Amino acid sequence: MRSSAAALLDNVLSSPVDWLSINMKTISLLTGLRFIDSFFPSGGYAYSSGLEAAVQGGAVRSGDDLFLYVEDMFRQGITYREAVAVGVAHDALLGNDLQAALSVDHELHAMKLGQESRVASQQMGRQVVKIAVEPPATHAVLKNFYAAMEEERTPGHYPVALSLTLANAGWNKMETIAAFCYQTAVGFVSAGLKLLPIGQREGQHLLERWMPMLDDCASRASEAQPMTAWTPIQDIYAMRHSRLESRLFRS
Amino acid sequence: MPTPLSNPSDLSNVGRVGRLDLHYARQGQRTILAKSRCTSPWHLFPTMYLDDSGSAFTSFVNPSGGFVAGDQLSIHASLERDAHVVFSTPSANRVYRSLGEEARQTVTLSVASGAILEWFPEVTIPFSGSRFVQAMDVRLEKGATALIWDSLASGRMARGERWAFASLRNEIRITTASGDRLLERYEVRPDQYPVGLVSQYDYVASLFVVSDSLDPTRWPPLRGIVADVLASQGSDLLGGVTEATVPGMAVKLVARSSEVLVTVQELLWDAIRRALCGFSRPFLRRY
Repeated sequence: MRSSAAALLDNVLSSPVDWLSINMKTISLLTGLRFIDSFFPSGGYAYSSGLEAAVQGGAVRSGDDLFLYVEDMFRQGITYREAVAVGVAHDALLGNDLQAALSVDHELHAMKLGQESRVASQQMGRQVVKIAVEPPATHAVLKNFYAAMEEERTPGHYPVALSLTLANAGWNKMETIAAFCYQTAVGFVSAGLKLLPIGQREGQHLLERWMPMLDDCASRASEAQPMTAWTPIQDIYAMRHSRLESRLFRS
Repeated sequence: MPTPLSNPSDLSNVGRVGRLDLHYARQGQRTILAKSRCTSPWHLFPTMYLDDSGSAFTSFVNPSGGFVAGDQLSIHASLERDAHVVFSTPSANRVYRSLGEEARQTVTLSVASGAILEWFPEVTIPFSGSRFVQAMDVRLEKGATALIWDSLASGRMARGERWAFASLRNEIRITTASGDRLLERYEVRPDQYPVGLVSQYDYVASLFVVSDSLDPTRWPPLRGIVADVLASQGSDLLGGVTEATVPGMAVKLVARSSEVLVTVQELLWDAIRRALCGFSRPFLRRY
C-alpha cells in the first residue's frame, strides 16, 4: 500500500499549477521569516517585558524559574491578549476590514497597563510596518493601517503590525499566531541569556520545552474573544522596571 | 398598565435582579443625592458626610449578604458637575458557591466636569465553586476625576479555601472625554488551569486614578509617592505603579494578608486624595 506522502508527491509532480503554488508558498514563507528573524531591526533586543525587574526582584533566578515565569505569562496573558489580537488582525486583512484592525489595536492599547510595555510594543510595531509597506506588494489594509499610525489615529502595536505583515505575506492565521508566540518566547530567552546564569544550550532547551505550549497557545488564541489577561505578577514587575536603579533593558 | 410582578418570572427575580440608580448634584458646599431608586436586594441608607470635603458618602448595602448563583445586580450612578461622591460597601462582597449559573454585577458610572468619584468597595471573596462576573463602565467628562479601587481575595483562607472558585470574570473600562480608554479585563478559571505565580499571594488589587484636570507635571511625583507606599510593606506586598493610557496612573498589587491589603489601600487613598483634593482619606466608620 502506498503512503499518503507518496500519493501527495505524485499529485504535486503531475500538476504545474501545484509547482507554482509550492514556489509561492516558499516565497511567502521567506518573506514572513524576514520579519520574525532576530536579524530584523524591530528593536526587540532592547526590551525584557519586565523580566529584568523580576530577576532583580528575585522572582526569577534560574532557567527553571524563567520557564515557569514565561509559561505563566503565555497561559494566562499572551495567549488571550496579544495572540488574540494577532488573530483578529489577520482576519481583518483577509476580510479587507481596516476598522477591525484599528479597533483591536486600540483595545490592546487600552489593556496594556504598563507604560514601558506599551511603548516597546508601539516602537516594534512601527519598525515592522515601516518596512512591510515598502513595494512591491502591499495590501490596502496594511497600507491604510500604516497611514493611520503616521497620523496618530492608531497606536500601532506590534502584535497587530506583525500580523498584518505576515497575512500580507500570505501566512495563514495559525502560522501567524504561532510565529508571534515563538518570536515572543525567543525574546524572553534572549533577555534571559543576558540576565541569568544560563547558556545558549539551556536557552534552546527552554524553547523546546515551550513548544507544546506555544502550539496550544496558537490554537486557543485563534478561537478566543474578547481579549483578557491575568498576569498580575508579570504586570507588576513590568511596572516596577522603570524604577530600577540599574537597567540593561528598556522595559 | 401591568402591575409589578404581573409576570410569573418577575416573582422569581425578586431579590435576585436588583437595580440601584443614583444621581448626585452639587448644592452649595455639599454634594446631595438628588434622585435615587432601588429595587431589592439593594438597600440604600441616607448619604453621610464624613469630613469637610462636602463629599457624599454612599454605602451599597445588599442585605442578602452576598451574591448567589443567578443574581443580576446593577448600580448606575451619575455625578453632576462639581459633585463629589465616595462609594463603598459595609463589608466584603461574598460570592457563594454555584452549581452552574453565574452571579453578575454591572456598574455604570458617569462623572461630569469638575466632579470627583471615589470608588472603594470592600474586597470580593469568591467562595469555593463560585462563578462571578463583574463589568464596570466609567465615563468621564472633561475635567472629571475618578479613583477606582478593585480588590479580590483568593477565597475564605480561614477555611483553607484558596483560589478554589470556579470562574471569575472582571472588566473595568474607563473612558475619558477625549475617547482615550483604560481597560482591565481578566478571566480566572482555577478549575481549568492553575492561577499561576499569583498563587503565592491571597489578594490582588488594582487602583486607577484618572483626571485630565491635574497639571500633568504633578503625576510623576505622585507616582513616586505611590511607589514609596508600595515599597513600605516589605515582602508581604508586591506592587507597581505606571503612567496610564488615560491621564493618570494605574496601580497593581498583590498582598499576602488582609491586614497588608487594608493598610496599603488606606495609605494609597490618603496620599492620592491629599494630592488631588487636599483632604485626607475619609474614616468610613465601618468597624
